[in-house]
Amino acid sequence: MAPPPASAVADAMNPPARPRDSQTNIDIMAVTKGFHWPWFIALVAAVCGVLMAASALVYQTYVGLGVAGYQAPVFWGVYIITFVFWIGIGHAGTLISAILFLFRAKWRNAINRGAEAMTVFAVLTAALFPLIHIGRLWKFYFLLPYPNQRYLWVNFKSPLLWDVFAVNTYLTISVLFFIVGLIPDIAIARDRAVGWKKAVYTIAAGGWQGTGKQWKAHNRTVLHLSGIATPLVLSVHSIVSWDFAMSIVPGWHATIFAPYFVAGAIFGGFAMVIVVMVPVRRIFRLERYITDYHFENMARFILFTSLICGYAYGAEYFIAWYSGVEFEQTSFWLRAFGPYWFSTWCMIIFNVVFPQLLWFKKLRTNIPFLFILCFFINLGMWFERYVIIITSLSREYVPAAWGLYIPSTVELMVLTGSFCWFSMFFLLFLKIFPIIAIAEVKELEIHAKEPGHGGAH
Amino acid sequence: MKTLVSVYDLPSEVSTVVRKLKARGFDDLTTYSPAPFEEIELAEDPKPSKVRAFTLIGGLVGVVTGFGIQIWMSMDWPIKIAGKNFAAIPPMWIIGFELTILFGGILTILGLVGLGGLYPRPLDEHYSPRFSAEEFGVVVNCDERDVAEVESLMRGHNAKEVVLHDAH
Repeated sequence: MAPPPASAVADAMNPPARPRDSQTNIDIMAVTKGFHWPWFIALVAAVCGVLMAASALVYQTYVGLGVAGYQAPVFWGVYIITFVFWIGIGHAGTLISAILFLFRAKWRNAINRGAEAMTVFAVLTAALFPLIHIGRLWKFYFLLPYPNQRYLWVNFKSPLLWDVFAVNTYLTISVLFFIVGLIPDIAIARDRAVGWKKAVYTIAAGGWQGTGKQWKAHNRTVLHLSGIATPLVLSVHSIVSWDFAMSIVPGWHATIFAPYFVAGAIFGGFAMVIVVMVPVRRIFRLERYITDYHFENMARFILFTSLICGYAYGAEYFIAWYSGVEFEQTSFWLRAFGPYWFSTWCMIIFNVVFPQLLWFKKLRTNIPFLFILCFFINLGMWFERYVIIITSLSREYVPAAWGLYIPSTVELMVLTGSFCWFSMFFLLFLKIFPIIAIAEVKELEIHAKEPGHGGAH
Repeated sequence: MKTLVSVYDLPSEVSTVVRKLKARGFDDLTTYSPAPFEEIELAEDPKPSKVRAFTLIGGLVGVVTGFGIQIWMSMDWPIKIAGKNFAAIPPMWIIGFELTILFGGILTILGLVGLGGLYPRPLDEHYSPRFSAEEFGVVVNCDERDVAEVESLMRGHNAKEVVLHDAH
């Protein structure tokens, strides 16, 4: 038997010292390590908020829905408004992950993980609200295609049932998308962890080693999931909009609702990504990865979708006037000048007027300004749903049947708790998994090292 | 049998060496990469991934299930709603579509798990945490008489190091 070449033997006997870890791994995994006071304070506040909302919910469940501010004829209130709001927030993650992936927009790589996490937690939050809204939580299975005690099945012609399928499908696909993206990064964490953490990450990484076969299956999976998630994300908020548009309530019965809701969801979702990622970048010093360029691109999306929202608001008013239908005209007049004028003007000013400032590059790249603007956009988007739901229901047809809805303390506590619930999950996520998709960032960095490559993205 | 483990810095080096090794008949090889690179994927196996078959099957199962459960449940307890047929097809497209996506997505993930071997198991003997940092690995199993040729190919394409092991 011929001896192996000397060089190979020498290499085997004197392996080079283990090289340093990549700087990208070190920087991004640092978020999960150590103790950060701002993170801890935010987590304590979030947990307190969740406990407060839980106590309000227990009280409501015990006493009944009478403690909510429902007032005939308004029986969809803060809970449904907040459900639509959170479903909308959940749209940015899939847009960034799936649609921008299909368009090969590489700038998404630094923000997609945070946006995906946000999507999952936002949809988890949203999914609670129909259950809270029905009051008797233990009857939630009436929503599922399961025969009740008289063997009667659910009504497949109802948009509310379509919504059940749409939201659950969206939640499932968002979670799967999120996990698929996380696997290579969990393997990075596994390779650098010790003790019980290593054991947990080893199970979670599922044998990932970055072999050619694994990457091939992974890339195809991401591509196919992106392909099917793109029509899904557009369908979900369309179906949510049909909860309203399929009825004949003035202000709801409009064909524009589906694209109007989808654009609004992307608008609000991007604003929430900025609200969440600005403090994360600052506290965990991730400026090298999440740059002003990323925020500027998101600001452009916000500006674009703000224009669509503005167009939709205008079209609604125009069609109400042009239709000549008295109920429709009255409904829209009362939106702007009736008892809920405040919410309507908040909606218009925060969602259409303020975002026009983003035409100026100086403001698009001013991170504190963007943070404040996006905070108000989120407020505006919540008010948009308030306007759609409450103004239409409270001033339906017969003036004798009109009513005035004012959210009760219990409802406001649950609403506040929903933000805390969302924040709690996001804060815990920050300390367990990498907030930036490390493998995808490395793909760009390593490509930039190739000879002849421009090196910039 | 012997195993040669080589380490690289760039994906172009890996894709070139993999292509050349395969051209010379060294097919028993594995690459390790810290990030997805299409050039390596194509060099190692240019055939399309079978994941797409899982997506297609899942989608078809989903659309059939979606329409199937709606038609069956609508006919099981027939109630006239809004003057429509008991099993009116147009509104069924929505749930049919959602279940197409749902089942397509779930089957796609099963495809990833099956084809990528994604289940908790011991890592490969020659896997190194370096491959989840910034370096690439190419591991080739070959006969003892081919070691010199493989090593020279590896070193000729900028392998930072080449280590020889006995194959198990």
